[in-house]
Amino acid sequence: MTNKTPADTVETRSYPYYIENPVTEHRVESFLKAFAAVLKYTDYKPLLDSYCSSNAKCNRCAVTCPVFLATGDPKDIPCYRTNLLLDIYKRYFTIGGWLKAKFSGGFELTDDVIDEMLTLFYRCTACRRCTMECPMGVDHGLMTRLGRYVLSLIGIVPKALHISVREQLEGETHNTSKVPKVALLDTLGFLSDELNDLLGIKMEFPVDQMDREHVFFCAVSDYLMEPETLMGNAAVLYAAGDWDKWTIGTGNFDGINYGLFYSDWHLENIIKQLLAEVDRLRGNTVLIGECGHASRSAHDFVPVFGGRHTHPVVNFMEYTLDCLEKGKITLDPDIITERVTYHDPCNIARSGWIIEQPRIILKSFVKNFVEMEPHGQYNYCCGGGGGLVSVDEIHDYRMEIGGKVKAEQLRKTGAEICIAPCANCKKQLKELVEHYDLPCKVMGLHDLILKAIVIEGAKSTRERKEEAALLEM
Amino acid sequence: MEQWISFAKGPLFAFSLLVMLLGLLRLVIIQVYSLILRKGRRLRNAPWKKILTDASTWVIPVRHLIAGTRVFSIVSYLFHIGILVVPILLMDHIALWENFFGVNLPAIGRGLGDVLTLFTLGCVVLLFGYRLFVPRLRSMSMFMDYVLLGMIFIPFASGYLASHPNANPFPWNVMMLVHILSAEALFIAVPFTKLSHIVLFFFDRVSQLHWQLRPGAGDKVAEVLYGEEVHV
Repeated sequence: MTNKTPADTVETRSYPYYIENPVTEHRVESFLKAFAAVLKYTDYKPLLDSYCSSNAKCNRCAVTCPVFLATGDPKDIPCYRTNLLLDIYKRYFTIGGWLKAKFSGGFELTDDVIDEMLTLFYRCTACRRCTMECPMGVDHGLMTRLGRYVLSLIGIVPKALHISVREQLEGETHNTSKVPKVALLDTLGFLSDELNDLLGIKMEFPVDQMDREHVFFCAVSDYLMEPETLMGNAAVLYAAGDWDKWTIGTGNFDGINYGLFYSDWHLENIIKQLLAEVDRLRGNTVLIGECGHASRSAHDFVPVFGGRHTHPVVNFMEYTLDCLEKGKITLDPDIITERVTYHDPCNIARSGWIIEQPRIILKSFVKNFVEMEPHGQYNYCCGGGGGLVSVDEIHDYRMEIGGKVKAEQLRKTGAEICIAPCANCKKQLKELVEHYDLPCKVMGLHDLILKAIVIEGAKSTRERKEEAALLEM
Repeated sequence: MEQWISFAKGPLFAFSLLVMLLGLLRLVIIQVYSLILRKGRRLRNAPWKKILTDASTWVIPVRHLIAGTRVFSIVSYLFHIGILVVPILLMDHIALWENFFGVNLPAIGRGLGDVLTLFTLGCVVLLFGYRLFVPRLRSMSMFMDYVLLGMIFIPFASGYLASHPNANPFPWNVMMLVHILSAEALFIAVPFTKLSHIVLFFFDRVSQLHWQLRPGAGDKVAEVLYGEEVHV
């Protein structure tokens, strides 16, 4: 054992984000024990073997990373971060590493390395932009996630994520924002009244209806912070004549899955909880609202964890495009006159899943549409990805570093409206726009659709626009 | 000296080649085994089309020439062509492959061989320079990254000198021995260093498959670490 000076003791170290019960002792031993357990029961070992052996350290990832572009600090190079974990794996879990340590010393896991990991893994937004340019195909997002997973097993995880997941899996409300059923019903009543004022049509939201085609899940925070997105969703369902084909379940109505950002354990159990609600309601399709990570976690992991017992997962923008192409809805092309741009949420765009769908919808009714450069699969993260946007105490980091490249990208478009169909991106971009004083309004795709959708028997789009203008005066 | 050369060309060459091939085969078997047997049915969920389309863009990676790494990327790419084509298809090496494997490969002419060799040597020097002088690359580079570039430089340089007596200040047989031994050292290093990306490259490229996580693993890990009554 080495003799520690008081300055080196863990008690004196500060964490860059709040942690519920900061671990103070035996962090190195606990980390190695947790890593060993993860390697034993999961499939990561061969992946780590491959990355350790073949990692070329060519550094191309550096110039693609918005964090490195903002800081220029070598520690923010994706490959450097990934190698923190690979070095530990090599040293403690491979024969070569063990032999090397025996004869020539070299790398040793210390509290300093743990500090470096817990900092760097939460500077990365797991946007996987770097992976697109890695000649070897090293998935740095997956490595960040694995590093966070092992850290979370020894209790090192931002409190904001931790308590949300606890409430979702073990709390009474089963959702991350602790919204009780009665509050949900109240909100839906409020949304119904708002829609009545706006459109002149009374729509009662379907709750706990059995045997419906779609069971709707959005980021639960949308019920509190993004009523216009939800009203846009409702307007599309109503206009398309599918009002009696969907429902919201009161047992579980939260699409958020922070497990995607830091834990295999939670990812799986949250997916199972979502599937249980769809089964309870005997629904068919899992319809996910405007949320990048909720969409990806359901779309990619329902098949993984659902096994044979699975349901199709549809993002709301896919549903809206389908309605538009089938002629079930009409969007008035004369309502939106502002310059509009579209931000691709990493979780749905990086895989190439949802890139064109929202653009086809937007171009059908927005005359002045402008792209950010780069966009689509190669888009930059907003700086709030990987759960960082929920961690309020790193707001300055998200503004000055994580979101710097995005803010510049946004400024260059000269757009008055930025569409961000993701609860996380929306929150981060709204903060960025304020921080950098950009003359741009951030909203969801369905917020804009709500303004332009033509609904039979409702107030006309022009009438609604005039009313909105009066309200703003 | 002649005996040394024939020993290096014969049994030693066979040994180093065997070490490389068996070493690489071991890596391939571990990867294939873990993917097929451990992932099993879940491989069917993977976005294969996207994985293959992405991988295909790296065959001729023109669209991956991004600002900040353009020259480095072009040099690296051409360097790879050199280190694959010269050792395998050079006229003087063709006989080796025929001896050992009975295959008759098409040879490249001596002139083209010379150009490619000098070109590859130039690339090695440039890559070495990049690692040494570009701060972000230097900060990431380990001792072995430099050593491996040196290990590639020696067989190429000695091979060139051995085949050009006029340019060679050393005795021919010494140069030849250096050439053969350094190439064999490189063969042996392949499966144990990052050069193993000769085969692991293909598995890294499909590493998206590893998002097909193992069902039940999360619960098990938590239970092993914290007991059955584990809480979030």
